[in-house]
Amino acid sequence: MDPEALAASEAMARYCDGEAAAFHRLYAMLAPRVLGYLAGLLGERAAAEDVLQLAFIKVHDARGSYVRGANPIPWIYTIAHRTCLDEMRRRKRSRLRLTKDGELRAGAAAHITGVAEEARPLEDDHASAAAAMAALERLPDNQRQALMLTKIHGRTVAEAAMITGTTPGAIKLRAHRAYVTLRGLLGKAGSPAQTEKAQPRTELA
Amino acid sequence: MKSEDSPEIDEYLLRSARQVPAPPPSAEILKAVGAIEPVRTRTRFGAFLIVATVGAIWPAYTLIRFPLRRDLGALPAPWVAIGAALWAATLVLSLAAALVPARGEVLPSAGRAARISAIAMGLVLAFTAVWTAFAPGVSLRPEDVGKTLIQSCWGCGKYVLQVAAIFMVLGLVLLRRVLPVGGRGVGLAVGAAGGALGGLALHLLCPIATTGHVLLSHGGAMVLASLAGALIFQGLLGR
Repeated sequence: MDPEALAASEAMARYCDGEAAAFHRLYAMLAPRVLGYLAGLLGERAAAEDVLQLAFIKVHDARGSYVRGANPIPWIYTIAHRTCLDEMRRRKRSRLRLTKDGELRAGAAAHITGVAEEARPLEDDHASAAAAMAALERLPDNQRQALMLTKIHGRTVAEAAMITGTTPGAIKLRAHRAYVTLRGLLGKAGSPAQTEKAQPRTELA
Repeated sequence: MKSEDSPEIDEYLLRSARQVPAPPPSAEILKAVGAIEPVRTRTRFGAFLIVATVGAIWPAYTLIRFPLRRDLGALPAPWVAIGAALWAATLVLSLAAALVPARGEVLPSAGRAARISAIAMGLVLAFTAVWTAFAPGVSLRPEDVGKTLIQSCWGCGKYVLQVAAIFMVLGLVLLRRVLPVGGRGVGLAVGAAGGALGGLALHLLCPIATTGHVLLSHGGAMVLASLAGALIFQGLLGR
């Protein structure tokens, strides 16, 4: 087990023993990256923060199902992933919301960096990161999940399969397809700045 | 994944990996954590042992209560041994894959569970289809008991499904709120394990030895149980 997994495992064990400080250590260790993953899936920072809180409540409730000595990181990602799927389904059901006048609300499409589209800074570093995120946003959900988990969040193929409830073969296939799509997008866009202008996937209600 | 590595795309992806500062825990979490108490955690083999032990009670009772098949002594010993070993292996491997997480992991791998149980069931079905042992004058055919093939399958199929149902109920109780994803694969393996235990008991109890009967009512019922497990676990654990 790598040092990070070991530290998380120790914190989780103490947390299960009733040590509140261990929860805060675990939260500080994992919440930023889980939030990044959720933001990537949901395409909206505020919703991702809500799901993050829900996910950690579920972790708290389910801490009795932790197996001592195990790496809790993929498990927490799994809980967050599932919570996120529930949230995405809920949002799908209530995608169209009307204003008080009965008009469809034309809300600003937030970017998964959490910054509203029109307010996003266009400095080079931000622009290239945002362009990468924009390209990711255009991938189908399952391909994006596979690529984010294995390439951005450092999970192994087996862990990514467990988190998403599928097989390692399916994860490899989805990541492969995501690569092919990204290559196409990058080739078509020519430059990150152009890719950034691609339509964002998520329109917020 | 290695074959897909592309430095250009990897670099591009890493640009998106800027770590986002997380908000502090919500008031609800802080309240729950403030009132925290020690909890008893799961063990790797706990669920496996409970399901295997409790689930085996009824098949064990039927093996004690009812006489073994009358042709058992007349059948080729290797066939009896290999058949029993295959049914038992399907039971143990499927149940372990469904309920025992790999070392260092919290959750069992649903994909692995589905794969292992599918392979094990395939081997049992292949064995049943290609190697049927029949002791003339001792083993029975459906017509010997005055039934058609389908009618002869009813009792055995029902028995296999009942044994599997006990496994599924136990599995659902033990995995409730434990398995956030992958209910379908795990359910498939739990159903297969229960069906395999039913098949193992029938391997020693049922004197109807025709290929059609064994394939349909023993093996077929096991497959049916695994499909039912996949549907039920996906439906109930996904909530």
